[in-house]
Amino acid sequence: MNQLEEREIKPVETASRNIQTGGRTAIWQARLVLLVMINIAQLWILSATIEAALAAHYKQLIPLVIASGVCWLLALSIFLWWKPAEKRQGPQQIVRNR
Amino acid sequence: MNSNYLNEKTVEGVLATDRDAANEISGENTVRVATAGYQAEFPYERDEEAQVTRREFCNFLFLTSSALFLGSAGFAGKLAYNASFPKSFSPMKIEGAEALAPGNALNFHYPKENDTAILIRAADGGYYAYEQKCTHLTCPVYYSKSNDRIECPCHEGGFDVHTGNVLYGPPPRPLDLIKIEIRDGGEIWAVGKITGGEHESA
Repeated sequence: MNQLEEREIKPVETASRNIQTGGRTAIWQARLVLLVMINIAQLWILSATIEAALAAHYKQLIPLVIASGVCWLLALSIFLWWKPAEKRQGPQQIVRNR
Repeated sequence: MNSNYLNEKTVEGVLATDRDAANEISGENTVRVATAGYQAEFPYERDEEAQVTRREFCNFLFLTSSALFLGSAGFAGKLAYNASFPKSFSPMKIEGAEALAPGNALNFHYPKENDTAILIRAADGGYYAYEQKCTHLTCPVYYSKSNDRIECPCHEGGFDVHTGNVLYGPPPRPLDLIKIEIRDGGEIWAVGKITGGEHESA
């Protein structure tokens, strides 16, 4: 009977694990895509900064640097905090993947 | 006959030995054993060569973001810092300017030896001097007598002779203006420089 129970439970556990793994993969992909998009935006800002500086449009420099800083803060928050939870050890407890 | 038989056996034996040797050498284990000394000096696994984990790529992207932010801030800060200092220019006589006929131009160096400038005597007889660097990508500009304007040959930019303003093309701002004075005896002196598009005092 115990063996039967185990046979019934195992597929459910495996499916649950697969769902968790798939969710973690999606979160990792989302993190990477967001960081790539932020990098592209910062590249554009850097080129705009150089062009404005060479054109002696100094009033445009501060907003551009602030925009780049905001992008960097977004990247920092994604890097530090937007991490997928590795596994649940209870109804409320979540272990972060470090 | 015997000799032929022996020869065939010898050839077959040699070929078999070569085949075995070839098979042995092409085996991965044999290669790893043979290159163990090199692997000890360079512990670099072939399977890991092209493998970049998501975590490593994430770290790389964050470092790139930090570098781009520092680059923007540093570039803007340095240029703003340089622009905050008042610039002083020493007067300099432009040699040969008195003999310049209307509709011609003359190159000279101002304010430093490495800074090329262009003095133009327009068709109306007036003198105009500008830095010779195009404000787009610093190509040297020249005076086009037939069109009576300053042109940049690199990207088809055009500037007004009398003001240095952009007439057409990609330059984002006017040419840098070199202030000139006509002193006693008709001598032309360069006495200062104004960045194009700005209202700085020379």
